[in-house]
Amino acid sequence: MSDHLSISEGHHLPVAGCKNESLYAIGARFESPDALLRATAALQKSGFSCYECHTPYPVHGLAEKMRLPKSILSLLVLGGGVSAILIALSMEIIPTSFIYPLVVDGKPTNFSALPQFIPIVVALTLMIGAVTAVIGMILLGGMPRFNHPMFAWDLFERGASRSFFIVVEALDPKFTTASVTELLQDQGGLDVTAIHQETFEEGARDLKASDKE
Amino acid sequence: MSTLTTNAEAVTETPDLSILERPPQVLNNRDPHWVTGAVCSIVEGKTPLWWWIGFSISATLAGIGGACILYMIVTGVGVWGSNSPCFWAWDITNFIFWVSMAHAGSMISALLFLTRQKWSISIARVSEAMTVFAIMCAGVYPAIHIGRVWFVWFLFPVPNNYGMWPNFSSPLLWDVFAVTSYLTVSSLFWFAGMIPDLAVLRDRATSKIRKFCYGIVSLGWLGTARQWRHYEMMYVLLAGMTSVLVVTVTTIVSSDCATSVIPGWHATIFPFYFMVGAVYSGCASVLTLLIPLRLAYPQLKDLVTPSHLDKVCKLLLFMGSCVAYVYIMELFNAWYSANAFERGAFWERFHGLAAWYPITCLSINLIVPQLFWFKRVRSCLPLVFVLAILCNVGMWFERFMIVTTSLIHDLLPSSWHIFHASIVDILTATGTVGIFFTLFLLFIRFVPLVNMSELKATLPGSQAHHATEEEGNRLKP
Repeated sequence: MSDHLSISEGHHLPVAGCKNESLYAIGARFESPDALLRATAALQKSGFSCYECHTPYPVHGLAEKMRLPKSILSLLVLGGGVSAILIALSMEIIPTSFIYPLVVDGKPTNFSALPQFIPIVVALTLMIGAVTAVIGMILLGGMPRFNHPMFAWDLFERGASRSFFIVVEALDPKFTTASVTELLQDQGGLDVTAIHQETFEEGARDLKASDKE
Repeated sequence: MSTLTTNAEAVTETPDLSILERPPQVLNNRDPHWVTGAVCSIVEGKTPLWWWIGFSISATLAGIGGACILYMIVTGVGVWGSNSPCFWAWDITNFIFWVSMAHAGSMISALLFLTRQKWSISIARVSEAMTVFAIMCAGVYPAIHIGRVWFVWFLFPVPNNYGMWPNFSSPLLWDVFAVTSYLTVSSLFWFAGMIPDLAVLRDRATSKIRKFCYGIVSLGWLGTARQWRHYEMMYVLLAGMTSVLVVTVTTIVSSDCATSVIPGWHATIFPFYFMVGAVYSGCASVLTLLIPLRLAYPQLKDLVTPSHLDKVCKLLLFMGSCVAYVYIMELFNAWYSANAFERGAFWERFHGLAAWYPITCLSINLIVPQLFWFKRVRSCLPLVFVLAILCNVGMWFERFMIVTTSLIHDLLPSSWHIFHASIVDILTATGTVGIFFTLFLLFIRFVPLVNMSELKATLPGSQAHHATEEEGNRLKP
């Protein structure tokens, strides 16, 4: 981490977060999805892998440009749904057929009662499938996470609902402040900023304020 | 559109494509930033006076309803008008009424999403909210109508020291699972779809408390490409599952009636009957909620356009016509069955002591939706508002007609007995209306009314141009 610090100190970028902390990434703002896609393609071409695009809404074609794999969420939901079917069937068959046979209206209690088990199987499958989908989306998306270096970048906070951001993380093997800054600026990136890990010290805010001036 | 144009040019001279042009999703060429501001200003602005008035009225109604429920629990179900042979009356009527109303919300947000009906985006959030709150109101009744509320856990398959299990072959138990699953899935669909918008509110928050609260509920959403990828997959999956629920929940609820032998209930047409009625009353409720909302917040007029409301009206017309068809088929089936009890039940329904309920229901539901054939009716919003309320009144009478007028004319004429609602019945029912509007008003104040992220993604110019150009070039012969 201290390596990144020494790299960033030689550079005169606006800083988000506390300068005493390690460098998290270099971020840039883009005004249009076109510019974002072009910059992503350029990053991909230069061999960067540890970067992230922040958009206010899903931009078509971005995931393909970033070569992101298909979300595995559908597989998880399939697993959730299949286990829900098994849970529901055993929950119904074991009491009805074995431990507590209850004959009402002369309805069968053996396996020929299968059709009357279907409504609950459907309901439970949908319920557990939906719970898997939402929890899966939250966990796969790296949430819940309430502290993130990006929150220290006030420009992101102000612009997240309309602008597009590319953030190249310092962990990337090809990362050097100079090369990333140059690349982002070449691609039309605005407000190229060094983002440091967030701290909640008063000093950090003062520094940020003075940097803006 | 650009793909279409390039293709057309390649073939022959350009034909007139203006008829293919869809009405704009957002009026007045608003940009994404305007959309954010317009939607967030409703939550961030000062609480208007009408909100406080509406909130106090609905909260009072809900409070009275709650007091009635408490009175019923400590006294017994005898405080309701229900009696032999009419064991189900306002409780199940209201349960079916509310759970049905929920369905249009699911249909608009899920089924129309899957069929890529982009116009539904602007009204989906309000419809989903209506769904969730209506199921909550519906959920009040099954829990309390069992009489001894402290035994409500008998409804669930909980291993217990009596060694007892519920009857899994009973539609009443299917109902428990259907409604629980419906509430869970639609709440999750509503909440998960809201996460990116709650993050926008978090970023815009000025006070520390606001930032903290929206920060917690938005779960640290950053809008990264990876998050969007999983989010979009989740949204499609949830929409698929919710679309199934639109059909299954009413089907299961209708089997409460259809699997019994009571004449007037014992009909195979019931699942469809309940489903079309459900979407019909739900469309009416969506209109009832959206039209005053547009008045209260003029910025919504560009987002929820007259064209959107027109489409809901058309959906209402279609479903209303299906309802009319079912009414006629039900009467035809009663006659064609050549079953004396079935025929007798329908004869008594329209000639008996409670004939005014079915007559009110039929006269509203057969006539009112048919007025929506006329464009002049559909475009006159105050009229649409009144007609939509009438449709819901008609639907309440329909649910009452199905539940009560069938029960009071059962198979044993000596037990026939007219039903009179008690004051507790009425106040509990208005209480659920109070609960619904209390929750809805809270929703207006604290949550973005329109799905901003999804709407912004469909605005002209919001997607990359060169992506579509590449696509167009690929399609060129």
